[in-house]
Amino acid sequence: MSNPRTERSRPVDPPFSPILLAGMALGPVPPRFLQPLFDAILAVVRRRHPDILDRLTAYPDAVIGIDPVDLPFVLLLEPKPDRPRLTVYRDFADLPVTAVIRGPLAMLIALGEGRLDGDAVFFSRQLVIEGDTEVIVALRNAVDGAGIDMEADFAATVGPLARPLLQAARVGGWLFRRLADDMALVRQALVGPALKSADAQAARLNELEGEIVTLRRSLRQREQRT
Amino acid sequence: MTGLSRPVELVCPAGTPAALRAAVDAGADSVYLGFRDETNARNFPGLNFSRDELATGLAYAHERGTKVFVAINTFPRAGAPELWHKAVDDAARLKVDAVIMADLGLCDYTARHHPELRLHLSVQASASSAEAIRFYHEAFGIRRAILPRVLMVPEIADLSARVPVEMEVFIFGGLCVMAEGRCSLSSYATGKSPNMNGACSPASHVRYTEKGDKVVSQLGEFTINTFGAGEPAGYPTLCKGRFEANGRLSYLFEEPTSLNTLSILPQLIAAGVTSFKIEGRQRGRAYVTNVVKAFRLAVDAISRGETPPDIDLDGITEGGRQTSGAYERSWQ
Repeated sequence: MSNPRTERSRPVDPPFSPILLAGMALGPVPPRFLQPLFDAILAVVRRRHPDILDRLTAYPDAVIGIDPVDLPFVLLLEPKPDRPRLTVYRDFADLPVTAVIRGPLAMLIALGEGRLDGDAVFFSRQLVIEGDTEVIVALRNAVDGAGIDMEADFAATVGPLARPLLQAARVGGWLFRRLADDMALVRQALVGPALKSADAQAARLNELEGEIVTLRRSLRQREQRT
Repeated sequence: MTGLSRPVELVCPAGTPAALRAAVDAGADSVYLGFRDETNARNFPGLNFSRDELATGLAYAHERGTKVFVAINTFPRAGAPELWHKAVDDAARLKVDAVIMADLGLCDYTARHHPELRLHLSVQASASSAEAIRFYHEAFGIRRAILPRVLMVPEIADLSARVPVEMEVFIFGGLCVMAEGRCSLSSYATGKSPNMNGACSPASHVRYTEKGDKVVSQLGEFTINTFGAGEPAGYPTLCKGRFEANGRLSYLFEEPTSLNTLSILPQLIAAGVTSFKIEGRQRGRAYVTNVVKAFRLAVDAISRGETPPDIDLDGITEGGRQTSGAYERSWQ
């Protein structure tokens, strides 16, 4: 990797959300205990979306770091055609990553399901990529092109248990959204006044920058006349 | 407003099979796409269609009354046109509705070997005069010209009266401000030609580096831009770089801005435009769904004689900004 960021860092701030709280609870759990979950996810991807790895065959030696910034672990995707791996680690320290993508978990999932446009969230600085851009672009296109529907994948994986489990998941989703809304309200109460003050300062700064541009222009015009 | 005397075709991008389905489901009249190689001008990693994917995509689109066009719009390497010829042969075999191309030799090959195949002249041909468009029509039978993004609406109206082909214009998406098909800026910076290798500013040569609260974008050895805290970023093409010249830091050619013509669609139709093209085969299916739905609503409103609705597309534009570009030249 030409520009390695080998230690866990936070160029994207984690949102104040239930995922952040869940991440805190997961903090003491050793990553190896989470590994079976990601082995299962990769198995589903290989079975239901083989085209993802097919679109990554040009990068058999890539090591792609995925950093859900609101969770206390990171993932390493190695898209080797014959032996792909998705491994969970505490951080990227000493890992030879080719490229890294960082963002809040909910955003990464929405990107995976094609509900968000990758370029748009990257251009708006909600998502950070580092290292080999080509590999990240290939991964984005491969995942987006697969048409992933996590609910359908889940249903196909659990078979006859799908209906009750999906109903439970929907209730869980409803509770999650309620909690997320409540936490957003708490956040607003805590930092709202500070944000208003910052907005006012930013507006004033913009005004001043505009005045500087005008002054520079008139100065140049005066210099050209003399 | 009165309704349209003829329908306007909405031509939408698809970089992957999922994006094709998204475009069709969102109301595209036609979808354009490319093969997974350097025969098309969006030869990006992980993007585009295999022959099997095209066959499946064609079936999906045709079942729903949507046409499929294949862009074979790069210029073949000297002495090695086989890849491009095979692309044309396969497109014809799979019965696509049209091929989009720019190279004279490829137009000639297609007209001779597949006279039944409908030919559209790519924007890569940069044909902006009636004489040029008439030439392609008379020599190769092109049925539609996709106009370069340098013409004003009255100039399009003038062309319309003087050419015997349909006219297609870009209505939304990334803007190319150069002479398309002839620009060498990306080749200069990366050694890869957008016109022959199929990717302007290829991702293999792009780097983004976080420096504190700033992000620096590079293309090859060139620093293209430094975005401050919270400032919307852009893709590092040389033509949209922010450089220092005469002591001033500015966008020398063009700012990272997206084309959006929602407000001038009726004028474009009045100028004789028969099809509206949305740029963005390299974008995801969320982009395709949002933009196609927005313009479907707008075109349908115009068809009913209504004013097109004002739809907010800020969230999916480059740089968070929009322009009607050369169509209005509001900067003049």
